Amino acid sequence: MRYRLLAAVLVFAASSAFAQAPANMPSYTPPKTADGHPDIQGIWQVLNTAAWDLQDHGARTGVPAGRGVVVGNDIPYKPEALVKKRENDAKRATLDPESKCYLSGVPRITFMPFPFQIVQQADKVNVLYEYNHTIRQIYMNGNPHPDGHIDWWMGDSRGRWDGNTLVVDSIHFSEDTWFDRVGNYHSDALHVVERYTPISPYHMRYEVTVEDPKVFTRPWNINTILYRRIDPNVELLEYECYAYQLEDSWQNK
Amino acid sequence: MAKQVSRRMAIGVALLLAAPRLASAQAIFDPKDWNGTLGAGAKSWIAERAKLPPFTAPRTADGQPNLQGRWGGTWSGDDIEEIPKPVDITTPAWESYVSTPANGKIPYQPWSLAERNAHREGLGREAWSKDPTKRLYYDPQAFCVKSVPRYSQRGYELVQTKDSVIMMLNWGHIYRVIPLDNRQPPSGDLRTWMGSARGHFEGDTLVIETTNLNGKMWLDSAGNFIGRNAKVTERLRLVSPNDLDYQATIDDPETFTQSWTLTARQRRQGAGGGQGGGGNAVRDPYAAESWEHACHEGNGEHEHEIQNLGFKWYFPPVPPKK
Repeated sequence: MRYRLLAAVLVFAASSAFAQAPANMPSYTPPKTADGHPDIQGIWQVLNTAAWDLQDHGARTGVPAGRGVVVGNDIPYKPEALVKKRENDAKRATLDPESKCYLSGVPRITFMPFPFQIVQQADKVNVLYEYNHTIRQIYMNGNPHPDGHIDWWMGDSRGRWDGNTLVVDSIHFSEDTWFDRVGNYHSDALHVVERYTPISPYHMRYEVTVEDPKVFTRPWNINTILYRRIDPNVELLEYECYAYQLEDSWQNK
Repeated sequence: MAKQVSRRMAIGVALLLAAPRLASAQAIFDPKDWNGTLGAGAKSWIAERAKLPPFTAPRTADGQPNLQGRWGGTWSGDDIEEIPKPVDITTPAWESYVSTPANGKIPYQPWSLAERNAHREGLGREAWSKDPTKRLYYDPQAFCVKSVPRYSQRGYELVQTKDSVIMMLNWGHIYRVIPLDNRQPPSGDLRTWMGSARGHFEGDTLVIETTNLNGKMWLDSAGNFIGRNAKVTERLRLVSPNDLDYQATIDDPETFTQSWTLTARQRRQGAGGGQGGGGNAVRDPYAAESWEHACHEGNGEHEHEIQNLGFKWYFPPVPPKK
């Protein structure tokens, strides 16, 4: 609970430092849904390289160079956790849960290089991801997180509106997902707070506070942008990762 | 609430492999208790539907018929044709879900009937096989994929927006987004498990046309199938506050002698997950929530055990050249 309060303070600090639109962007008020909530529906996708590495990284074969999405670029691992992160990275070809097509976890699913669609209801925000046809149902029905601990790949997500920002609080994660392809990881004590703030009809700021006292010395923040897909024929298609993998591995291929 | 809930909630493959001995999460029907009647398929539902008073669906704020809500699963997973007597403890006697043609039989061509029979014979199930050691394909659904119309066997939540209909299954986190804006499907080069769905309303009826299927899924766990060039036209209509009439018409001249239709009743659910009725919804505030069904993750090594048993990966058969 102490950590959760700390996270709340940090989210507030992060939002006051970063949540305003860039100087060249006028302030923006999103349209409202029939239920009176900010309307953030549509198909969105990141345009960054966080799927490969959340932090600053150079290019290598198949991996574009990229500026990180971690505020300050430092992920504050405990010393023994940093050792494990480096082991994960060294053995990523076999240890990365993505190599087995498992559900990605949060916030990794946001950074996968596939579009996702937000569908709002009065008491729930649904996020449909093309990758592995993942669904996140973010409940806003007044129910708190259920008792636990529950080991879920995608966690349990509860949302609320803070002005025009959708704030999503997620716990009940298993320890089996990573944050990216270079072994950044967490334990089952992971607590993620995401803030989705529309800053134009076509852009949302995406801020995340990650805390996990078993792995990190303090909470840390992610700050990046989601882009609306406006291609004329855009729609979610399919990436059935495990089906392709099984088909490829079958003897009668 | 349980303090520890295993994430291995989805053990579809394990259950199917072990059936009929291990059936902890499946309904158990002891053939010895059979009273000689068939479970309600198309025929019973159509008779009951005919007796319902006229009903007009309420409208959404956008003026569409309001079909939103949680709808329960319908047809049995085993054999959408008639099961005249119990097969085993997970497969009770059941009416056909095929409403057209009237004999309840899928109108296969000779080649495709032989193919279906080979699928069934090769399942390794004693009840259906002369030689249970002969293995051909495993039911593709065991690998946590779905297709149209088989998805409708499971419960789903239906959500409408002004320009689309969204269906979200709890099972395997499968979803469909069905545009209502008259857009064309992609070319035949883009094929998917769930196909490309395009919807529109005709009066009170939601009509969904699905094409671009990859053909790698069966209609049921008894080997019935449609081809990859099939067009599936679904018609969903609210016929009472809590009953959705579900029809799916298959047009696939490469595989069948005529177009045919399956008809089923979908009942409104109060509870989440398609795991049962709404009786607990009042007591449990979480009953109408969809909690994670991590299907592939739960299958784990069973997927490779199936491989080791000699089952092949199902690819859609190629119709003979005319």
